[in-house]
Amino acid sequence: MATIRRGDGGLALPWARLSRAAATRRQKAFLLVLPAVALLLLFFILPYLYLLYISVMTQSHNAKYITRFTLANYAQTIGDLFIWRVIFHTLRLGVITTVIALVLSYPLAYHLARASSVMKGLLMMLVLTPLLVGVVIRTYSWMILLSDTGLINSLLTSWGVQPAHLMYNDTGVTIGLVHIYIPFMVLSLAGPLQGIDPDIERAARSLGAGAWQAFWRVTWPLSLPGVVSGSVLVFVLAISSYVIPSLLGGFTVITVPLLAIRTITELFNWPLGSALTIVFFALTVVIVWLFLRLMSRAMKGAA
Amino acid sequence: MHRSIGSRVGRVAYGTLIVLLYAFLLLPIAIVVIASFNSGNYLRFPPQGFSLRWFRHFGETASFTRSFFFSLRLAAVVTVIATGIGTAAALYVTRTAKRYREFLRVLMIAPLPVPAIITGVALLIFFYAIHVGTHGAFGLVVGHTLICLPYVFLIVSTVLANFDRTLEEAARNLGAGPWTTFRRVTLPIIKGGVISGAVFAFITSYDEFSISLLLGGVGTTPLPIQLFDYLRFSFDPTAAVAGVISIVMAMLAVLVTERLVGLESLYYGRRS
Amino acid sequence: MTAISLRSVVKQFGDVTAVDHLDLDLAEGELIAFLGPSGCGKTTTLRMIAGFEMPTAGQIWLGEEDVTWLSAEKRNCGMVFQNYALFPHLTVYRNIAFGLEMRRVPRNEIARRVRSVLEKVQLHGLEERYPRQLSGGQQQRTALARALVINPNVLLLDEPLANLDAKLREEMRFYIRTLQQEFGITTIYVTHDQSEALVLADRVAVMMGGMLQQIGTPEDLYRRPETAKVADFVGLVNLIPVRMKERCGAAIACESTLGPLEGRGPDGPGAEAEGWLSVRPENLHLSGTDGAAASGTDGTVNQMRGVVRERAYLGSLIDYRVEVGPALTLRIQGGAEAPYHAGDAVAVGFASADAWFVPSEEG
Repeated sequence: MATIRRGDGGLALPWARLSRAAATRRQKAFLLVLPAVALLLLFFILPYLYLLYISVMTQSHNAKYITRFTLANYAQTIGDLFIWRVIFHTLRLGVITTVIALVLSYPLAYHLARASSVMKGLLMMLVLTPLLVGVVIRTYSWMILLSDTGLINSLLTSWGVQPAHLMYNDTGVTIGLVHIYIPFMVLSLAGPLQGIDPDIERAARSLGAGAWQAFWRVTWPLSLPGVVSGSVLVFVLAISSYVIPSLLGGFTVITVPLLAIRTITELFNWPLGSALTIVFFALTVVIVWLFLRLMSRAMKGAA
Repeated sequence: MHRSIGSRVGRVAYGTLIVLLYAFLLLPIAIVVIASFNSGNYLRFPPQGFSLRWFRHFGETASFTRSFFFSLRLAAVVTVIATGIGTAAALYVTRTAKRYREFLRVLMIAPLPVPAIITGVALLIFFYAIHVGTHGAFGLVVGHTLICLPYVFLIVSTVLANFDRTLEEAARNLGAGPWTTFRRVTLPIIKGGVISGAVFAFITSYDEFSISLLLGGVGTTPLPIQLFDYLRFSFDPTAAVAGVISIVMAMLAVLVTERLVGLESLYYGRRS
Repeated sequence: MTAISLRSVVKQFGDVTAVDHLDLDLAEGELIAFLGPSGCGKTTTLRMIAGFEMPTAGQIWLGEEDVTWLSAEKRNCGMVFQNYALFPHLTVYRNIAFGLEMRRVPRNEIARRVRSVLEKVQLHGLEERYPRQLSGGQQQRTALARALVINPNVLLLDEPLANLDAKLREEMRFYIRTLQQEFGITTIYVTHDQSEALVLADRVAVMMGGMLQQIGTPEDLYRRPETAKVADFVGLVNLIPVRMKERCGAAIACESTLGPLEGRGPDGPGAEAEGWLSVRPENLHLSGTDGAAASGTDGTVNQMRGVVRERAYLGSLIDYRVEVGPALTLRIQGGAEAPYHAGDAVAVGFASADAWFVPSEEG
């Protein structure tokens, strides 16, 4: 093979040129992500770090805080029986909401996953419709239904049944939370359920499993990833909800978000509010982590 | 025989259950619509009669109309920003990023799983400390953009992940430079994802509550906060009117997306 | 004149060497097929010529120009992708016009050229369709038209028929060949289908493991493979292990476990060279053991005995597997007129002109 070399001949030169060109191209491309990264670092990561910083500063009556390191805020949070009751109450509401939402969402998601493709589009629209109306308005709607003189109670009275207290207590808050978060649960479940080939269920049936057994032994284990992700999502959303506990709970139901916001915006106790927020945040992370570990072990066992 | 009767009963029960669940899901929406057109102060059965008085009341209440238009403007600004930087970030992360790809991906969607109310608290304290964003709409724009960015990023990333890059190679092969290739081939094909992301961002911002509760101020109160304050003390169906407006807007958004994405599928030749 | 010249081109992806010191020259108007199993480096080579990959070392010349570092859009290579890569948001017309628009060709000129190429690929009347409204064959021809309309210096085809059904694939082979000759365009055709390569190409380059194994006319490849790998990859082959005893020009005499065998061989290997005699199944003849009646073919100097182990009816011929020695079974395809069955003792013969010596790798 002839080795004629025209132009700039040697190999080193174009290589250097190429790698330099590639480097500047990559640098230029980084400008694409720069605005988003700057926004998130400056107004997301930094504020959270600042919250962490405030939580170890000393409380003060005439300033936001005094720049002196202390763990007193955490001691106060952890030592306060009232705060623990609020935390426990919030977590309990979260668990109850998640379980009910799961039970109600599963049939919806299953039905959706097995519908024809035309029906699927329509049903998906129906599931998503509530999301298109703000949480405040949806809560208002539940207030119309659940209040002492509301629709449900006026119907009950007209039938001669004793009216029930459905609002300004845990019942009302739970109903509101479940309703608001069902679409999220359905969406999380529908994906994995759709991924299960109907032939697998048919195979189980052909091997002699009844409808219920086929579901319990085949469909349910295969849908567990959706159950787990949906449950985590709904749990986290439910315990950090603010509108529903305040409107449907009427301030008789106190949850951590309500308490934290009140501590910061009404009592102006930034250090304590920050500590409370962080304790709650950490607790949530631990619970979710434990749940995920437990479920992954269960899923391994099922497999 | 026994089994087929059993399965028929089962099927009817299953069907009824599904219908009831959809009814539960959609009931509050129906209630809002009925309440807004009902003439009485409270909604009772049967409804007291058709009236537009609550619409009139909503229109005449300056605090509502001011908040309504503020929310629209806020959502528009946030949509433009979030769609722009979210799409750009998705392009970089799915295509160019190498070593830091996973880190960037997590960073971009980080505001999604953490409770928005805590993000709001952190932002509020931070803004007070650095003395910006406490007046005017700056804080709200920043906070809403944080919440909307992950949606745009996720939707556009999904579209880009499914994008067949040989199309770009084909364009280069036919003589198009990088920028022409992006403008003439890439952008038209990912347009559907960008539009869906934008619509999602708009609705999310318009309905956003937690961030708005903490960062809204005098004269910069988004509609959900105005309604929330109103509902704490009064109970009349003026709030339902805002609900109907929301529903109409959402339907418009769906129509707009349908039209744009529909046009696109015409491009793609799905409909002929 | 040389249209494409690859000069010891190397491409590495991390630690993996996809293309290993490839040297290749294409003459103007020639159609070369790159043939090899998947992952052999043939597509990578094509992508380097198109400018989608930069070689780790070596040079690529198109005509008189070193294009090694030239970006893809400046190379004027027409390419047809395996999945066609038709722009889904543009009509057939706009797809084909795209390359001309990039070259700032005046609008009426574009219309004229698109119309003319549509005529050539028989797609007139489909201008306003979108790619998804076309059949596989129509998409394929649109992709061809889009690549040809820009008057490229070379045409690069990456498995262009892989996504078509068997019958259409057969038709398209001849069609592509006709079109290529009509345009007189230098063409590289990447495929893993050996029959496609043999039918279409002026020359076939067999690649394996990033290296060029052999380049030659289809007949060279089929009748005179240089390595056992090539013999095995191109068509069906029987490889009989032998040791060369003596040679006289191209004629060679070998010894094997089946006794002495005669054949032909390439220049180079001399006496004592280890290797194989490669014989194609259709060149082996079966006859009964009872007499010489059936083996009437002249020049059938190589004879052996065996037992039919398997027999498969293929319509126009019968496919036999005949055991002729310990651990040696020959594949023989013959006409249906000699119906032997499993267990029959048979005589096997082949002419020395049909046996080609392939040296073993070490030799």
